Amino acid sequence: MARPPVFVQDPQPTHPDYPLPDVGDPVMRPFWDGAREGRLMQQRDVRTGAVVWPPKPLYWKGGGRLEWFEASGTGTVYTWVVGHEPFLPAFRHLLPHVMVVVELAEGPRIVGHMVHVTPDEMRFGMPVRVVFKRLTERVTLPVWEPDR
Amino acid sequence: MTDGLDRDLFRRIRDRVAVVGIGQLPFAKDIGRPISDTAVEAIQRALDDAGLEAEDVDGMSMLEMEKTHEVSIARRLGVRQLTWWDKISYGGGASSATLMHAAAAIASGLATTVVCHRARNRGAKTSRPWSQEKALVVDDKALHTPWGLIRPVDVIGMWAHRHMHEFGTKREHFGNVAIAARKHAQTNPAAMMRGRPLDMPTYLAGRVIGYPLTLYDCCLETDGALACVVTTVERARDLRQKPVLIHAVAQASGPNPVHLANYNNTKEMMTTAVFCAELLWRRSELQPKDMDCAQIYDAFTPLVVTGLEDYGFCRRGEGGPFTEGGRIEIGGELPVLTSGGGLSEAYVHGFNLLVEGVRQIRGTSVNQVPGCKATLVTGASGVATSAVVLRGE
Repeated sequence: MARPPVFVQDPQPTHPDYPLPDVGDPVMRPFWDGAREGRLMQQRDVRTGAVVWPPKPLYWKGGGRLEWFEASGTGTVYTWVVGHEPFLPAFRHLLPHVMVVVELAEGPRIVGHMVHVTPDEMRFGMPVRVVFKRLTERVTLPVWEPDR
Repeated sequence: MTDGLDRDLFRRIRDRVAVVGIGQLPFAKDIGRPISDTAVEAIQRALDDAGLEAEDVDGMSMLEMEKTHEVSIARRLGVRQLTWWDKISYGGGASSATLMHAAAAIASGLATTVVCHRARNRGAKTSRPWSQEKALVVDDKALHTPWGLIRPVDVIGMWAHRHMHEFGTKREHFGNVAIAARKHAQTNPAAMMRGRPLDMPTYLAGRVIGYPLTLYDCCLETDGALACVVTTVERARDLRQKPVLIHAVAQASGPNPVHLANYNNTKEMMTTAVFCAELLWRRSELQPKDMDCAQIYDAFTPLVVTGLEDYGFCRRGEGGPFTEGGRIEIGGELPVLTSGGGLSEAYVHGFNLLVEGVRQIRGTSVNQVPGCKATLVTGASGVATSAVVLRGE
């Protein structure tokens, strides 16, 4: 858990039509705020410790039941796909684009994309760790690299 | 709700409502008319088929994505007044649900005769919803689109790839689905892919769109308009066509749902269809073994493989081998997509699967299953979905 966050840059400036997330969304904001600071945030039940993903509003069932915490940032490849043309212009420079569902060490499955890997290096169950890709001043994406 | 009460409530719908008319326009890459116009003509054709007039209609049920407007359609048709109407969300998850909602409205007395329809123009490359994704992404889409997971082929590819890993499902199994659909399209004059047969070497050499899926795993993109007319079974007996009874219906979101990229709903990453099937068969006197054919939603070939499992035609993990030896082709044990489906007839959010289901029960399909008494029509799995069992009297 203890390695300092690694930030990466897209090789190209963020495309004007990039589908950027609404980082001000009241439910998702802690996730995006954390990513900007290099932390992968998840939500859990205060009492049971069960990880809740996708996150719920903190007023869920009257409030006081959920909290955000920093996850380990490690997991394994549960499944992946490799995007080829025709693809959205915002991602075209990344093709073939390896998109992934990571099973986090904490349990939930989270969508992401890979960096620092070629499609033929991908394996089911492969260990991965989070790195942070800065897209704009406000938006940083947690993405994944092989945990070699 | 207890099982008993659920079954009891459901008795008010089962076999009480019938599809009495179907209509469709020729499918096209570019139909050259707006859906506000094609929807009206498809409904008019369905009314003509039933022997009903617009004045008999008081209800309307349709899909919500790419809107057509109830009052405008009613006015153009000459409907006296609508007393009930409904728009159903989640694209391909919704086609069977139009019949479910109509049946519920009729069984409860809120409407007597309902027209269900789907009209959409998607043949043009620029018309595809995923290609229009841009700017600020809100709500559930923010869970996957910022990473580029946007095209449905990729979202479904995640399931397909995992299925291959977990159960040894092969690309040839997906190919069997594509080839069966294409074979059925060859005898269907309405099918977009008539005259373009497909064999396994061609399938396997298909251009990769989103590994592991290729061009032939993907449905067509089509302009189309189709409609059904639904009314009480008593009324249906006085009309022109053999009544097609709505035997069982279900709609299900599954737990912890996320639209499309629904990867946390169970430990096993089951699709929404599992939950829809459970409800459907619990409400149905007929069971999977009683289905003479099945129209399983086929935006992508793997959805048919998982659909065969989800709807109980085989066990989990056996959907791939189930497709072997012509079992899902005409003449096989369970023909699927008998009109060619979304893969080879037309992709109209599965409404063509419903219309084909009706034809199979009437005995008028171009690929008629001899003596077909019952058929299953499903919506898209992965999204909040629906399914219906149709049968003859």
